[in-house]
Amino acid sequence: MSTAPRRLRYVSANRRVREDRRFVVGMGRYAADVEAANALHVALVPSAHPAARIVSIDGSAALALPGVHYVLTGEELAAATEPLMNGLETPEVKRYPLALKQARYVGEWIAAVVADTRALAEDAAELVEVSYEPLPYVIDAEAALRPDAAIVHPPHGSNVLLDRTFVWGEVERDFAQSQRQLSFRVVWGRSSTVPIETFGITAIWDPWRELLDVWASIQMPKYSDQIARAMRLPANAVRVHQDVDVGGSYGVKRGIKHTILCSYLARRLGRPIRLIEDRLENMRAGDAHGPDRIFDVSVAFNTDGIVRSMKMRALDNVGAYAGRAPFQLGKPIGAIVGPYKIQSVEYRAQSVTTNKAVQEAVRGFGQSPTNYAIETAIDKVAGALRLDRIEVRRRNFIRKGEFPYLIPSGTRYDSGDYHTVVAKVLDHVGWDALQTERNRLRQSGLLAGIGIAACLEPSGGNSTFEPLLNPKNTTSTWMESCRIHVDALGDIVTTVNTTSSGQGHETLVATVIGEVLEIDPDRIRVVRPDSLESMPSNSPVGSRMAIMLGGAAYHAAGKLKQKLIGIGAHQFGAGEDAVVYANGGVATTAGDRRLAWAELVNIAHRNWHLLPPGMEPGLETNQIYQVPTGGTLPTPDGRVQMYPCHSFEFHVVLLAIDPDIGLPKIHRYVIGHDCGTVINPHIVKGMTLGGIAHGIGAALFEEFAYDDQGQMITQTFMDYLLPSSQEVPEVEIVHHCTPSPYTVLGQKGSGESGYLGAPAAISSAVNDALAPLGIAVAKLPIRLAALGDAIAAARQSSKA
Amino acid sequence: MKPVPFDYVRPTSIEETCALLAADGDARVIAGGQSLVPMLAMRLARPARLIDILRLPELSGVRDDGNTVVIGAATRQAATEHHPLIKAKAPLLAKVFPWIGHPATRRRGTIGGSIAHADPSAEIPLVVATLDAEIVVREASGETTINAGEFFLGPMVTAIPQGGLLTEIRLPVWSQPRLGVSFHEVNARHSDFAFVCAAAQVGFDETTHCTACAVGIGGLGEFPVRLDRAAKALIGTDLDHAAIADAVDAAMAELDIWGDLHASAEYRRRVGGVLARRALIDARQAALECPQ
Ligand SMILES: Cc1cc2nc3c(=O)[nH]c(=O)nc-3n(C[C@H](O)[C@H](O)[C@H](O)COP(=O)(O)OP(=O)(O)OC[C@H]3O[C@@H](n4cnc5c(N)ncnc54)[C@H](O)[C@@H]3O)c2cc1C
Repeated sequence: MSTAPRRLRYVSANRRVREDRRFVVGMGRYAADVEAANALHVALVPSAHPAARIVSIDGSAALALPGVHYVLTGEELAAATEPLMNGLETPEVKRYPLALKQARYVGEWIAAVVADTRALAEDAAELVEVSYEPLPYVIDAEAALRPDAAIVHPPHGSNVLLDRTFVWGEVERDFAQSQRQLSFRVVWGRSSTVPIETFGITAIWDPWRELLDVWASIQMPKYSDQIARAMRLPANAVRVHQDVDVGGSYGVKRGIKHTILCSYLARRLGRPIRLIEDRLENMRAGDAHGPDRIFDVSVAFNTDGIVRSMKMRALDNVGAYAGRAPFQLGKPIGAIVGPYKIQSVEYRAQSVTTNKAVQEAVRGFGQSPTNYAIETAIDKVAGALRLDRIEVRRRNFIRKGEFPYLIPSGTRYDSGDYHTVVAKVLDHVGWDALQTERNRLRQSGLLAGIGIAACLEPSGGNSTFEPLLNPKNTTSTWMESCRIHVDALGDIVTTVNTTSSGQGHETLVATVIGEVLEIDPDRIRVVRPDSLESMPSNSPVGSRMAIMLGGAAYHAAGKLKQKLIGIGAHQFGAGEDAVVYANGGVATTAGDRRLAWAELVNIAHRNWHLLPPGMEPGLETNQIYQVPTGGTLPTPDGRVQMYPCHSFEFHVVLLAIDPDIGLPKIHRYVIGHDCGTVINPHIVKGMTLGGIAHGIGAALFEEFAYDDQGQMITQTFMDYLLPSSQEVPEVEIVHHCTPSPYTVLGQKGSGESGYLGAPAAISSAVNDALAPLGIAVAKLPIRLAALGDAIAAARQSSKA
Repeated sequence: MKPVPFDYVRPTSIEETCALLAADGDARVIAGGQSLVPMLAMRLARPARLIDILRLPELSGVRDDGNTVVIGAATRQAATEHHPLIKAKAPLLAKVFPWIGHPATRRRGTIGGSIAHADPSAEIPLVVATLDAEIVVREASGETTINAGEFFLGPMVTAIPQGGLLTEIRLPVWSQPRLGVSFHEVNARHSDFAFVCAAAQVGFDETTHCTACAVGIGGLGEFPVRLDRAAKALIGTDLDHAAIADAVDAAMAELDIWGDLHASAEYRRRVGGVLARRALIDARQAALECPQ
């Protein structure tokens, strides 16, 4: 169809991100900026218990306050709606927006109060009297597996939502034949992406048009379908407005429970309903926590450092309801060996329910914790053999000439050049000088270490982990679309058929279309149709939009170009192969005749008599784009092509710890990054820097911590510590480009970059620093005081 | 996170303020609001009436009273931070501001508000405790002066009586020819409340003898503590490292210390000692570098 442009004009160019203009001047339009006349406001009554039977709910005192309109309970809501979607076949683990008969975590919504203002709704929420009968509860994942554990969903029969062991290749043979083995445990604490903007929604039900209008701070595939199903409405009665800016997400903005609650109330009360989460609601019951995981890993290797096989058990504490958590054990299967040629893998994925808050998708969808486990294994192999950590990685890396490379779990990696990226990074940092600097810091009395981490970013997401973990699910497409319309004046309008949460999709589509049509991207208007007018989209998940929306835009633009070529050729009386398209116009190859953009547009819009026979008038094209590696279902032993593209990153960190205090300080942070063809360098840079900050948070600061009583003790930013500009060091980025053979411009994903390797790199640096003391940390986040206590204990015992 | 409904008044004099406070048991003073407003938003504080003292001119300002520096309770932290008199005569207080929140919170937060709030980890209360400053409280019935040692009673609990208004803080000015101060703090992020922090002020005569010494630690438990025994033991010494270590270790061993998610009790005890030692060593160094 269309051929790739020879020389790139706009792609990879140093051009402004068009969205930044409105964000920088504070003119974004967020869910809370949407005004609905006559709206009522919701506040929630939170559970005080980790587990309790709800004996009764008395809203009479709340309703007696003037201005209070309604008190909604779980019983009423559950009777009128379907349970929220749960991708696994666990029909007895039902989830509704409001707890039904039983509360399962502290903060869970027990009732909703509707009033004229939010403040009044909060006053009234305090007056709702709930009588509870406390039940036994369980907080710890391993405790939840014990036979005598309290069961979070008694009808389900146990706390196990998922327990599947995959064996890819000859694991036992490889273990038996390897010269060495080692085993260890690492723990990834429960953190998340915590956006500045909490979740917010306004819902309006119009009974005369039978239409539900929704404005929400959402980033979720198939949002309107999920609303329709839960609300028992036809999908064409749900209109989600997508021209709402989303103030941060990276996966977590999936307020489906908020949406169903408000949609029901809007219909029940006949008034617009608005719920903007406050920070407490967001932190304890926004149902947006991230993975909470224990990894038990064994690796088999030879004395030359070659890792032959790995056994990994990942036990994830999903919290009170399934959410997306189990699937976050599935995506890492697509890169389960990281960038290494490990021949065989046994992977046990276990999800258990506990009385903690619910998880949601978080940047990387489980990949960052898995990388932390894999990279820890490689460091330990090097340590056990007293080999250089980088050399061990080099020996195990897939080589440039081996792509496409089939990993044991069935994914074919598209391309990469790991050795070159590593060489460029080491060259940039001055590897010898960096080691000298570490030694100098050590001599000054500090504990200093260098951290290393290599990892992949699987990108271009489809949802193959769903059929992989649930055989009843046969989804094999995860399409994305784009439509281009050229109006009668020749101006271009194109679509993004989903909301964006800072990824720069408007810049992306405009750049790609501008490139193909050879037209300044700034002249292209990008709009976001509402869900009823949209083409199919699966939203920005799995680092997919550069690949998928970029691919759709590229092909839609190619079709438009082809149509213009057809119109031109017809005027010239030439064959299509005898004309060329350049700068928006069409000319004969001989160059003797040409038609400019405006003339071609005029013919398409006004001169049917000049169109080639059979051609539709007007200028509109579109593309529904399938994931470039197609779509197949998993084999019975769990092999499948997961994501199409694999970006690579390599981190080097120099860190020093004051041994008397435990405070780690990052002295240098360098990342080598290869995401193929960069579409906009500012966006990729922003993603990488933000991702590293996010990873530093997961490694050193952030945790949704619970005490033994099941209370969440980090409910505000006083205790849930986000790294600030004072804690995040300057980061040096070393670029490399290995284009993907599968994508239209060679691009790969970059939305998770930095975050996927930073926690592993920081942990590696801390452990290198601690190595002289003979201790290691194996749990994230690494709290400085715990680090200080561990150092003090090690010094004490070495004295003794 | 909306407060319960409350009434708001802005009195124009200290007398009026005290009368309003005396008349209403559910009234509460608001100064910079940097601690109170979050507590209101989380409904941890539920006053029926807020009495805004920020614009009372008598409560604002810094003045030299010879042996003391007097700071009005409603003086903003930022104004104090940059005040030449504070730098010259209350150097220990001057040291701590960069550690208190952010420039934005210091622009609003007041000195008196921080003291009245009495967070066990807060820096200004630590300085007040270490120097055993005097805190002046007005009530409708009159004025009382409370020594810092009797002022802090527990986490967020002070000796300010019901209906009392903190009006000023009197920081003693030391007369030693050579003075050194130092402050050390540990927290996860620079602008947070301290996990543990230590302040020291030492004075020397013309020789290398320490003639005055004060050292205090914050973040350990109920309130900032002044290590009196350690200070006494050090006066008259050269403040050599060994003397400092002995004095501080002995003092730390007797303290009652709390742990939490962020830092264990053992951590606070151990690192409290480390910081106190560092503070004394640095303060000594600074004092000896003073021109004689
Ligand atoms: C993001 C952030 C970070 C912070 N970090 C730190 C930090 O690192 N270290 C630190 O010490 N503090 C920190 N704080 C708290 C800050 O220092 C507050 O300003 C201070 O604790 C309270 O002063 P205020 O004037 O704002 O008092 P308010 O918040 O108005 O009042 C606090 C309390 O004191 C009472 N009160 C105030 N003035 C008087 C008076 N004259 N008489 C009687 N009672 C009075 C009030 O009734 C209330 O109970 C931080 C605050 C924020 C928002």
